[in-house]
Amino acid sequence: MRITRYAAALAAAGVVLAGCSSEAGDQAEDAAGNTVDVQEDVEFEAGTTMAELAEAGTITVGTKFDQPGFGLVGPDGEPEGFDVEMAKIVAAELGIAPEDIEWVETVSANREPFLQNGQVDMVVATYTINDARKEIIDFAGPYYEAGQDIMVAAGNPLGVTGPESFPDIRTCSVNGSTPAQYVQTNYPDAQLTLFGEYSQCAEALRNGQVDAVTTDNVILTGLVAQSDGDFELVGNAFTEEPYGIGIPKGDDEFRAFINDTLEEAYESGTWADAWDATAGAITDTEAPEPPAVDRY
Amino acid sequence: MGVVVENLDLFWSGFLRTLLMSVAAGVIALLLGTVLAGFRVSPVPPLRALGTGYVNVVRNTPLTAVFVLVVFGLPQVDLTFQNYVLAAIVALSVYTSAFVCEVVRSGINSVAAGQAEAARALGLTFRQSLGTVVLPQAFRTVVPPLGNVWIALVKNTSIAGGGFAVADIAFYGPSIIRDNPGSALWVFAGVAFFYMVITVPSAIAISRIERRTAIVR
Amino acid sequence: MTERPAGEPLVRLSGVNKWFGELHVLQDIDLTIDRGEVVVVIGPSGSGKSTLCRTINRLESIENGEITIDGQRLPEEGKELARLRADVGMVFQSFNLFAHKTVLENVTLGPIKVRKQSKADAEKRARELLDRVGVGHQADKVPAQLSGGQQQRVAIARALAMDPKVMLFDEPTSALDPEMINEVLDVMTSLARDGMTMIVVTHEMGFARRAANRVVFMDGGRIVESATPEEFFTNPTSDRAKDFLSKILNH
Ligand SMILES: Nc1ncnc2c1ncn2[C@@H]1O[C@H](COP(=O)(O)OP(=O)(O)O)[C@@H](O)[C@H]1O
Ligand SMILES: [Mg+2]
Repeated sequence: MRITRYAAALAAAGVVLAGCSSEAGDQAEDAAGNTVDVQEDVEFEAGTTMAELAEAGTITVGTKFDQPGFGLVGPDGEPEGFDVEMAKIVAAELGIAPEDIEWVETVSANREPFLQNGQVDMVVATYTINDARKEIIDFAGPYYEAGQDIMVAAGNPLGVTGPESFPDIRTCSVNGSTPAQYVQTNYPDAQLTLFGEYSQCAEALRNGQVDAVTTDNVILTGLVAQSDGDFELVGNAFTEEPYGIGIPKGDDEFRAFINDTLEEAYESGTWADAWDATAGAITDTEAPEPPAVDRY
Repeated sequence: MGVVVENLDLFWSGFLRTLLMSVAAGVIALLLGTVLAGFRVSPVPPLRALGTGYVNVVRNTPLTAVFVLVVFGLPQVDLTFQNYVLAAIVALSVYTSAFVCEVVRSGINSVAAGQAEAARALGLTFRQSLGTVVLPQAFRTVVPPLGNVWIALVKNTSIAGGGFAVADIAFYGPSIIRDNPGSALWVFAGVAFFYMVITVPSAIAISRIERRTAIVR
Repeated sequence: MTERPAGEPLVRLSGVNKWFGELHVLQDIDLTIDRGEVVVVIGPSGSGKSTLCRTINRLESIENGEITIDGQRLPEEGKELARLRADVGMVFQSFNLFAHKTVLENVTLGPIKVRKQSKADAEKRARELLDRVGVGHQADKVPAQLSGGQQQRVAIARALAMDPKVMLFDEPTSALDPEMINEVLDVMTSLARDGMTMIVVTHEMGFARRAANRVVFMDGGRIVESATPEEFFTNPTSDRAKDFLSKILNH
């Protein structure tokens, strides 16, 4: 799956109209409208992952295809979202244009096997950094800090305030997710219903089959935005979910390279632009302060 | 493999729930499907239309969609299941009965027409001739295809755990993988194993029954 | 034997018409069978004999006309029809014994399910009937273990167990090997002698002469001739009957 070249052509046309023809060659613009500068003449130490990828001119990236604002495949078959933009930023630094990225759908259960088997070069998929995962893969970043929150019916009829309400309400989350684990571990007497997808939790909330949905706030804000005012966020995040970029275990040079790239993107404003064009646009929120990368 | 052994208690409780769903939905689907097959061969046109309509709608709908309709659609008409095992049994019974119906109907058609005629000529009602003469003979020929339906049903129950809030065998996989990153292959192997604990003995039993009923002919 | 017993009508068909799609298979059939009468129906293949038989217990429906049994009009369907069918015994060319049941169960099924007799009563009577048709010692076998002649005699016992008012036989010996035909015809002859009302589709002329009160000749969906066996075989009036008889008597 590659970003279609007509997007780049459109961007070029726009630039020509604006009278700045000199930059047209090294800019590509996606449908969301933000820009990544694809490096030319990149050079890396021989034998590194960066050198291999730059040489190959392509990179395989695992991302979610069903996560509005982060990684969502639209009708045109191309993924869009903040995670997707992060991948484009890393690729650009390797001299790889967005249209040369190979996208692979990763779901929660296959992220580690894909990295371990080398089926993807990196995973950018609302991937929470934690120690258990660090034992078998490595994380660059974090590039975003989410937090678990609660979504309720508009008006919050049961007066849900935060996790302390869990024992008293019927809560929905997704089977096998970390937010579900948080509730199970910390509130063993919570009435938890576990479906396969958050859209089903939203349906159950709409039907009154559950009273609340809990997961990362960025996911919930997307659902609130789609709900026509039926749902609202409690807005009291109670965990820290640092999203990292997963790479194969032990590739410290690649990890350092991605961390450098992220820090540059923080400084140059590319990171904030990416937010504004994707998750920020959906949830109508300003770009937050970027989290400090963790060079462990 | 260690991850499966460590979580044996979860797998076991999931296994029991899978078995419960399979048996309950299997019994209901067998009864409902047989009644529907009776409708499909009935002399009463509205019953025939009902049977045919049911089979055509249900058999051509993906099971996941049936689940969505039962779990989220029925509450819209104030039929809410707080117990998702029950909802899953309903969805699986509705779905599987369409396949049972077609298998039983083909079995009915395989019984010589003269058998039903002789029964009717004796004064048996349609229901009696179906129940005492046609179906007992039909069931012999439908044991193998019904066995296939059963095995498909057992595996289809995984839709309930995978997506619809029932803690069956398929349910615990994702959370075990979450808590044991990198264990996906072993966990799925474990999941497959526990389904086979039901399906493999079923397959053996079916071929036994098949052999035994074949002798009577 | 051949004089007609004075009796009141038991089966009456009047103005019966039936079509299979385009095919007008029964055309304006008028036929009355008296109580105790034995009628043999004869005619070329495809002339509608089986269909006629089957309309009498409504295994085939009719488009118009009326059929009554013992003064009662044939019900369209449902329980009424089932009750009426119980009074009409039928013996098929291909026996149609219930393949999954023993000989005894074949005979007791109707009495138990339809007549609501106790199992013991039904079995007692079934064994008497099986003895009467000469297969009493086969009671516990399944049909597939019996010869054709034995199966057909079981089928007769099965029909008799319902104490029918009338018995229909649709070519009961046509599927049998020649050496078995007589054992079945003997049973039928003795039934006729005992006063059973019978409608028999058969080409067995010996049986017709021996047991029938009347022969009905059908051709092309019509009843062409109706006469005593004596008259019919010695002096058929229609050309079609003459033609038919010359064909079957010449081989
Ligand atoms: N179920 C049926 N559907 C269509 N045509 C039939 C059916 N049964 C019999 N027929 C046709 O009706 C005609 C009379 O058949 P039948 O009563 O069996 O004749 P017979 O018993 O005198 O040989 C034949 O032409 C036969 O092909
Ligand atoms: Mg015939």
